[in-house]
Amino acid sequence: MPKIKPRVPMGEQPPLQRIKNFKSVPYGYTEDEAVEEAERCIQCKKPKCEPACPVNIGIKEMNLLIAQRKFKEAYLLVKDDNTFPACSGRVCPQEKQCEGDCILKKFDEPIAIGKLEAFIADWGTQHKVEVEEIIANNEDKHVAIVGSGPAGLACAAECRKYGYAVTIYETLHKAGGVLQYGIPEFRLPKDIVDDEVKKLEDMGVKIKLNHTVGQNIYYYELVSQNDAVFLAMGAGAPKFMGIQGENPLDGVYSSNEFLIRANLMKAYKFPEWDTPIDVGKKVAVLGAGNVAMDAARTALRLGAEEVHIIYRRTKEYAPAREEELHHALEEGIIFHELVNPIRFHGNDDGFIDYMELVKMELIEDKKGKLNPTPVEGSNFYMGIDTVIEALGTVPNRLFLDRAPEIKKDKRGVIIVDENHMTSVEGTFAGGDAASGAATVIKALGEGKNAAKSIHAYISSLDD
Amino acid sequence: MSFKITKMMDLDSIDYLVDVEAPEVAERFHPGQFVMLMTKKEGERIPMSVMKVDNGKISMFIRKLGKTSKELRDGITSFENVIGPLGNGIEEKAYGTVVVVSDAVCGHAENYAICDVLGKIEGNNIISIQTFSSKKEIYPDEFLTKKIADRHFITTEDGSFGDHGSYIVTLKRLINNGVKIDYVFGGGKLPTMKAVSTLLAINNIDNLFTTRQMMVDGSGMCGSCRVYIDGEMKLSCIDGPMFDSRKINWTRAMKRYGMFKKEETIANEYYDAHKGGCGQCQK
Repeated sequence: MPKIKPRVPMGEQPPLQRIKNFKSVPYGYTEDEAVEEAERCIQCKKPKCEPACPVNIGIKEMNLLIAQRKFKEAYLLVKDDNTFPACSGRVCPQEKQCEGDCILKKFDEPIAIGKLEAFIADWGTQHKVEVEEIIANNEDKHVAIVGSGPAGLACAAECRKYGYAVTIYETLHKAGGVLQYGIPEFRLPKDIVDDEVKKLEDMGVKIKLNHTVGQNIYYYELVSQNDAVFLAMGAGAPKFMGIQGENPLDGVYSSNEFLIRANLMKAYKFPEWDTPIDVGKKVAVLGAGNVAMDAARTALRLGAEEVHIIYRRTKEYAPAREEELHHALEEGIIFHELVNPIRFHGNDDGFIDYMELVKMELIEDKKGKLNPTPVEGSNFYMGIDTVIEALGTVPNRLFLDRAPEIKKDKRGVIIVDENHMTSVEGTFAGGDAASGAATVIKALGEGKNAAKSIHAYISSLDD
Repeated sequence: MSFKITKMMDLDSIDYLVDVEAPEVAERFHPGQFVMLMTKKEGERIPMSVMKVDNGKISMFIRKLGKTSKELRDGITSFENVIGPLGNGIEEKAYGTVVVVSDAVCGHAENYAICDVLGKIEGNNIISIQTFSSKKEIYPDEFLTKKIADRHFITTEDGSFGDHGSYIVTLKRLINNGVKIDYVFGGGKLPTMKAVSTLLAINNIDNLFTTRQMMVDGSGMCGSCRVYIDGEMKLSCIDGPMFDSRKINWTRAMKRYGMFKKEETIANEYYDAHKGGCGQCQK
């Protein structure tokens, strides 16, 4: 085994600088850095990274092409497998996917596949590489897509490539779903999202903003006007802890509200932009997933003096992406393990004042699973000005309540068959709406696969 | 996107009347529903009641308070977004004797929209009660529900016109006089609505009241407008905005108020300092 060069580090804004702005934390690889990093790839005969990627990007060849400075070819290759590489390169949990199975991991750090993917995506955009889309003429066939998040966008792109007339219906006034309202600017710059959306529109995909299916346009209208419908509403409704004192206290946000204000409504530009956001000196974020890290780091950038992550398990169980947890800790966010809030207390103005917590321990059950369990008599108090509940999200019931013919499970997740078809013929579903809260890349993959099924379905109607 | 403002009228009261072209919203609107307004790209999503729809246009009362009304005063000609209709409309049917109540804080637009639609349904006898703080703040006649309700009352908080006090005074009198009321719709100040809920509970009258709480998206995503109905958490935007006042936990609803008071002042001051003219910001 030849000696493996160390991973090419990526330049980043230093922590003390970046907590004062919303600009991207990583600077991105330069061409030379990307080439050097790609050269580390040993070009395995049977690469393990590719099957570990939910959309099976041709990673081995991408690395080779980058190493050979064939950037355009690398871009086209990646784009063919993944419609939105600039987004997934930045937000995928690579350590659990491609990089997790990279053979180099046995000797050193794995290839920085995510960073190379983001590099090549940005290169393609900067150099205005035209992607030759094979658009057959099937415009007499219509596909309606509900939701413009990752699943909806990916499905729209693929359906358009098959030549169908595609219309996306989006509730908010900007397209992109969670990429737009959820993931902060410093992790996924909105110019990138807007650019990806614009590319779709340039392909001829129509996007109807401010349209909530089930509210101001009905599902049956979509069914009657289209040959197929794809449901990709995501999991956009917040969960609350449901503990005492939670409501009506001011200063208690769902992570959704906090991030929608900050990202979609750009409250960090208040008062230049109109939407306000109120962040106290001492902020507690409940939960330890990506959304919790996003909320915590956003709170810090909005001027909080102390930001605390409150988590009922230990750090190693935190569902957040490794890099996000790392960045958060680097920025000075304080991580509390094995604690759980049980009660909020307000002051006379109706704002949160302090919360009562209990210590937890991990106790193994019969199946060997470690369950966080309250330690009796361990209650303690923590003074707090703002609480952000980042406990995960569930599908928004607005649509499903009004389309009872679509079967769902008790969590409100749409039930689909192996072809992504729902209980209604011609209506398909994918992304978080059909799998519960998952990852951007999984949604991208499902959107793409559903498009194949939609194509097969519409083609079968002609026979 | 752009939605053209076709009429902006100072009602010589606390409100402007604004008509805006929003055909898709107008076509689907039902009384009880609301819209979200964004005056510009950088704007806030502001929940707004609709007074009437006519020929692809919607009419709204916009309070002369805060940044939005200043933008109107300073001559904006269109809105960036008019989103909706959102929330649930009321059932449009024959109820019998219906009382619709509202005050200057909330409900005059809903009052008009409900009287207008229900009044056209046979079997409804519509009584509308509108509260203003004083005589000089009463809208011009055509924007009151005077012509579309079977009976119309005005009350003023300072007693300068009509009954002295909130709409509860008039409503109580009607009940005491033996008027058989089948249904009440309304909106208003939170303490007034809390008080009216007790009155309606005692007299066992079915009703729906608007609990418009703070909202961001208005589609069930942010959870900011959470209210407790019979002990269960509901969202004003997608489950409401109107609920049976007897089931609303008013104490909880009233406490959740004023989270962004500080920011409202900042926004106003910022607007006043940046409305153009001084040129300072171009340097």
